[in-house]
Amino acid sequence: MVRALVITHGGIGQELVRVTEMILGPVPGLTAMSNSGKSAADITAQIKEWQVEVPEADDPDASARAPKLILLDDYGGSCATSAQLACGQDPDTAIISGVNLAMLMGFVTWRDSVDFEELVAKVVQKGREAIILVGGH
Amino acid sequence: MPVILARIDDRLIHGQVTVGWSERLRPDRILLANNAIAADPWQTKVYSSTVPPEIEVSILPVSKAASSLAAPERLDEQVLLLAGSVGEMAELVRIGVPVREVNVGGLHFGPGKREMLPFVYVDRQDLKAFVRLLEMGMSLSAQQVPGGREYLIDQEQIQEMGEKF
Repeated sequence: MVRALVITHGGIGQELVRVTEMILGPVPGLTAMSNSGKSAADITAQIKEWQVEVPEADDPDASARAPKLILLDDYGGSCATSAQLACGQDPDTAIISGVNLAMLMGFVTWRDSVDFEELVAKVVQKGREAIILVGGH
Repeated sequence: MPVILARIDDRLIHGQVTVGWSERLRPDRILLANNAIAADPWQTKVYSSTVPPEIEVSILPVSKAASSLAAPERLDEQVLLLAGSVGEMAELVRIGVPVREVNVGGLHFGPGKREMLPFVYVDRQDLKAFVRLLEMGMSLSAQQVPGGREYLIDQEQIQEMGEKF
């Protein structure tokens, strides 16, 4: 199972995860982290903790080296910098910025059906396609 | 070269700096004085990559910051100077970085730290370094972002805070 961590400013990540689960049901291995009240060093340390966490003993694929996905709200912010410092050199962790609801729903939909590389590509594409000028122009 | 903002912020280069203050002040260069990051090419690369392309970035050990600011070829540059702790900013001022006012932008909670302001948590070392800054003639104010509330930090407040430990 590919785990995913949504790291954002304020409560954006918690809400994205909550709403994803409201629509699709509980999603094991999908969690959120906020930078609120934390120094850069603290955020980096907490991401490293998540990285080596082995989530469920009954999951045969579970290991600290299993592929993982980090989703960020804003490239250049403290969440993104900490994510890069913690996992940027880890070939098993993909880091994507610009998280939106469509990406999380795509992640849940495809997680168990495509390989990791394709999953990352599809989540990025889904996120881009979700930005649509709907009207008023 | 003129330092247009000298900021203490334990998140170092992040949105409040690269967007918030930089949109307002339009610095030519962001200078981060940090020994650990300057010594690590990977961290230097990560932090440098977050700075918008129109702004130059230097990441230097604290001891090199003053001479870098005095470099004749960069006398006209407007610099946003960053340090990750009060102690490092006090050291920068001690070695001659041309600063009169220090902005306390964000010191987050950690072991042994107590709340001084909603975005400023300090320990005794930080308070001592605040006193050193005041003794060197700095004025201190805490403000996260342009237009945000500004809190002056004076000797009396530092003493009052010290009594809480």
